[in-house]
Amino acid sequence: MKKLVVIGAGMASGRVLEHLFEADPAAYDVTLFNAEPRGNYNRIMLSPVLSGEKSFEEIVTHDDDWYAQNNVTCRFGEAVTGIDRDRKVVIGANGEVEYDKLVIATGSAPFIIPVPGKDLPGVVAFRDLDDVDKMKEAAGGRGRAVVIGGGLLGLEAAAALRLQGMDVTVLHLMGHLMERQLDESAGFLLRRDLENRGIEVKCQASTAEILGTDKVEGVKLTDDTVIPADLVVMAVGIRPETTIAKAAGVEVGRGIQVDAQMLTSDPDILSVGECVEFNGQLFGLVAPLYDQAKVVAATLTEYKTEFVPKELSTKLKVTGCDLFSAGDFADGEGREDIVFRDPARGIYKRLVIEDNKVIGAVFYGDTADSNWFFGLIKDGTDISEMRETLIFGPGFQGGATADPMAAVAALPLDAEICGCNGVSKGQIVEAIQGGATDLAAIKAVTKASASCGTCTGLVEQVLGVTLGDDFVIPAAQSMCGCTDLTHEEVRRLIKSQELKSMAAVHQELGWKTSCGCHVCRPALNFYLLADWPVEYQDDPQSRFINERKHANIQKDGTYSVVPRMWGGMTTPDELRAIADAAEKYNVPTVHVTGGQRIDLLGVKGEDLPDIWADLNKAGMVSGHAYAKGLRTVKTCVGKDHCRFGTQDSTGLGIKLEKKLWGSWSPHKVKLAVSGCPRNCAEATCKDIGVVCVDSGYQIGVGGAAGMDVKETERLADVASEQEAIDLATAFMQLYRENAKYLDRPYKWIAKVGLDWVKERIVDDLDERRALIERFELSQSIYQKDPWAEHVAEIADTYKPLADFQLEAAE
Amino acid sequence: MDLALDAQQRTFISVAEVWVPSGDKLVLESGNYGGLNAFAAASGKESFAMGEGLPGKAWAEARPVVLKEFDGSYFKRTEAAKAVGLTAAVAIPVFAGDDLKAVLVVICSDDDERIGAIEVWKEKDDLLMLDDGYYGAAKHFEWVSQHTHFPRGQGLPGGVLAADTPMLMRDLGSGYKFIRSESAGKAGLTTGLGLPVPVPGDDDFVLTLLSARGTPIARRFEIWDARAAKVGKAGGAVLIDGICAREGALWDEDKTRRVSAWQGLIGRVLGTGIPVVESGNVPGLAGYDSLVALPIHSDNELSHVVAWYC
Repeated sequence: MKKLVVIGAGMASGRVLEHLFEADPAAYDVTLFNAEPRGNYNRIMLSPVLSGEKSFEEIVTHDDDWYAQNNVTCRFGEAVTGIDRDRKVVIGANGEVEYDKLVIATGSAPFIIPVPGKDLPGVVAFRDLDDVDKMKEAAGGRGRAVVIGGGLLGLEAAAALRLQGMDVTVLHLMGHLMERQLDESAGFLLRRDLENRGIEVKCQASTAEILGTDKVEGVKLTDDTVIPADLVVMAVGIRPETTIAKAAGVEVGRGIQVDAQMLTSDPDILSVGECVEFNGQLFGLVAPLYDQAKVVAATLTEYKTEFVPKELSTKLKVTGCDLFSAGDFADGEGREDIVFRDPARGIYKRLVIEDNKVIGAVFYGDTADSNWFFGLIKDGTDISEMRETLIFGPGFQGGATADPMAAVAALPLDAEICGCNGVSKGQIVEAIQGGATDLAAIKAVTKASASCGTCTGLVEQVLGVTLGDDFVIPAAQSMCGCTDLTHEEVRRLIKSQELKSMAAVHQELGWKTSCGCHVCRPALNFYLLADWPVEYQDDPQSRFINERKHANIQKDGTYSVVPRMWGGMTTPDELRAIADAAEKYNVPTVHVTGGQRIDLLGVKGEDLPDIWADLNKAGMVSGHAYAKGLRTVKTCVGKDHCRFGTQDSTGLGIKLEKKLWGSWSPHKVKLAVSGCPRNCAEATCKDIGVVCVDSGYQIGVGGAAGMDVKETERLADVASEQEAIDLATAFMQLYRENAKYLDRPYKWIAKVGLDWVKERIVDDLDERRALIERFELSQSIYQKDPWAEHVAEIADTYKPLADFQLEAAE
Repeated sequence: MDLALDAQQRTFISVAEVWVPSGDKLVLESGNYGGLNAFAAASGKESFAMGEGLPGKAWAEARPVVLKEFDGSYFKRTEAAKAVGLTAAVAIPVFAGDDLKAVLVVICSDDDERIGAIEVWKEKDDLLMLDDGYYGAAKHFEWVSQHTHFPRGQGLPGGVLAADTPMLMRDLGSGYKFIRSESAGKAGLTTGLGLPVPVPGDDDFVLTLLSARGTPIARRFEIWDARAAKVGKAGGAVLIDGICAREGALWDEDKTRRVSAWQGLIGRVLGTGIPVVESGNVPGLAGYDSLVALPIHSDNELSHVVAWYC
């Protein structure tokens, strides 16, 4: 009988032996080495063993009886120290074994991030039962665990340790959890699920050091945050374990290189599992390993077959977290999304379509049809005939009509339409039959769509299905094609539902797209940072280019640079610095703006950081001439110089500008302060205009002098300069908190009414104070000079990627 | 496997019965009285109005109710129970939204040897506190439990609350895995089944059944997932976890067991939405003497069925 030696008793080699014994039980005399002191077990079920939801005995795939029945010589707990290919022997710690064929199944080793403290006691990986035992031991003392890595393994470890009684923090380097398997929306739902279990999740968290002297005591991040820890689990990834193969001279790239028969560079040595590299590809999930195992067994029994990598799918083994991911779900040209969300039930489904085929799928909360969709991906099925109802799954396919309301028509009467108020389709139909024939009547009778409003479209479709031609679904003034909700509804819901991230808005408000569009993203970015300045992190990618570059792009691709001149005042030194900058950077045009600023036009993109740095040195900051935010405060010279001046208009202008600069708003905001009713600063056509009079200050709001020309409306007359500043600040915050994105104040006031504004900031002193406090909180985060920030942090990004004017070398 | 193998052992629960609404009363739907014929006969004649007796109290108060002392209590069958040695009971209401589908009542006999735990945990300020529990002779474990609370995600009750799904924990007392493990180990508690008990209103309840080796609550546990989000439009349920003293692990990720409505005893629970208690020579008992299968209705949907066999 020929001799087969297998190094490594993992899931792949276990399957190899099963298939081998099925095919020809007498073909080989088998010796099985395993460095672990145990045989094959279902390694992917270690997470529930760690959580206590499975016992180790349950996940053993081959027990002592099985090895005995199949005459396998087990050398468990014995590390292989070498392979002598010339003599065809495997050298174990307890002696050599000859082989005719050898299978290397050494699996993978955890990747340990090379930070100080990585070798401290209490820092563990998560690969085998010994690691599980170490974690359980640590969990016995309760305490705090930090899991580094928000991938599959890390999250399973985190949930299990939490179940075992530990306080758990997950650190993940990327922007959302499981970013290789999930998109941002699904990642949001997963994060929410984990946080609901009391697990703290920190994304974009980079580990700098593991702290401790005799044992682990904490983890320090690169932003100097320190998280106390009694246990640190490293779950950042794996790499093929190739040490033995490499030492034996078998060809190794990133893994042990094999051909389609799983043969290595040595025809008597095969390899299988996570240690192999096939056509440049590595393998970490179990499905391809099982396919490889079949091929290995076939090759060993001289039956020719080929290993062909297939599409993979992912599921997470955390009880109560239902997710599924398969295929390619990255955005790309020619790709389209079909998205279904059910906020009430926490469901998100996204299909990525290319050339009428499903190429990727991400599901969270409802994975019932995942196998059917996975089949569509694997088979490359043409879905053009079922496109309209595809997202509803196989139950709606087969002869389905292309009518988009068919799915609603097909819903049973007990199907829930309004998750907030538990209103079924039947109740709505009953109300319609009782005379409620429009949305308002349905809301009044059933309360459907009366809370969060995300089911409005569905309710209207039920109206349409029930009433037929008698009901015309109104064309809603929605924010964009991603949602049926209006800007105002979205703003209200962001506040009332405490939605604090883009992903939260998308999911909870049932966005129809996976991650929004160029219309909704800038608006949502503003709404979120205005309502949740502390919790929400500004997303530069959701801004227009001018706001990303902090300069207005011109039609020739150059930029304009406008330094701030507080209240329109300047000094000889500032003017010299501006002149020097204009000369140094060959600025072709210098222009004095209507807002009393100097505009340097024609600056090259790559010169921006340098010119900003020079202007910063002269004490100037960005004038935000590009921003949806405070632009300028224009002033006249006031009573210090003008015979007619009644108050210190320049002084007030400077104070207002220093208070309000840097704040983002729904649209640009321009201010002016005139020292007398002659109004040289043109304050009566500004968003906020102050006209000084002998008795104090007249505050007007809602002026415009652009496409529309409009005089300000009088908000209030006040006696003191401080009151004028307070009213302007409170008005700015009220506008920030309530206006639709891209509505100037005059448009917003026309919608809400000046009286509504007055009630809040003139009549209600408590509300005025609260508005000012919220504005100041926001300013504590956003009142920063973006020029200085960009010069210090991301100046390199302004350099051109390539200089196409250089000639090629000879 | 930590489940007891001896089929002749006494079990922690002596009687299980299902009471269902009929008009304005609860009437007996089915029961397993384990040979306690006199008590069975007394029960067959009984019915409960809302607020009346133990089942009526669970109905009226819309929460699981533990009753550890029959004498002088609202328990209506005290004399019949005492006559056959029954001393404590737990009533578990089964609500689908606001509608009561049934009340499952389990009744235990108290002696110095019967160890186990049936606990009701109630959420308060994001912590699960012990509402009440019956522990038999596991007095120390009872004391520990009374002085324990669980945050979301921690321990069996916290895990069930956070995941909103039944869970089955193994090896409760093996040293370091279960929050009350030391005491659980001393009490001989091995397997824990936790399940949410949805009720009208805002209160969250979790029921745990902790089984000991000597007097097991059951020798086989099963958790079936019937959510549309899991089984799709085809309906039915899939077995997501289970453990059996004879067969070992019942879960198999590659060959998931599935039943449809009205298919067998679990299918009967899916079809009717009410608990099933069966015993004797009935198909579907997996070789055991009796079965209790309890549905969980979540968000107006029959979401799970938990079953235990003795």
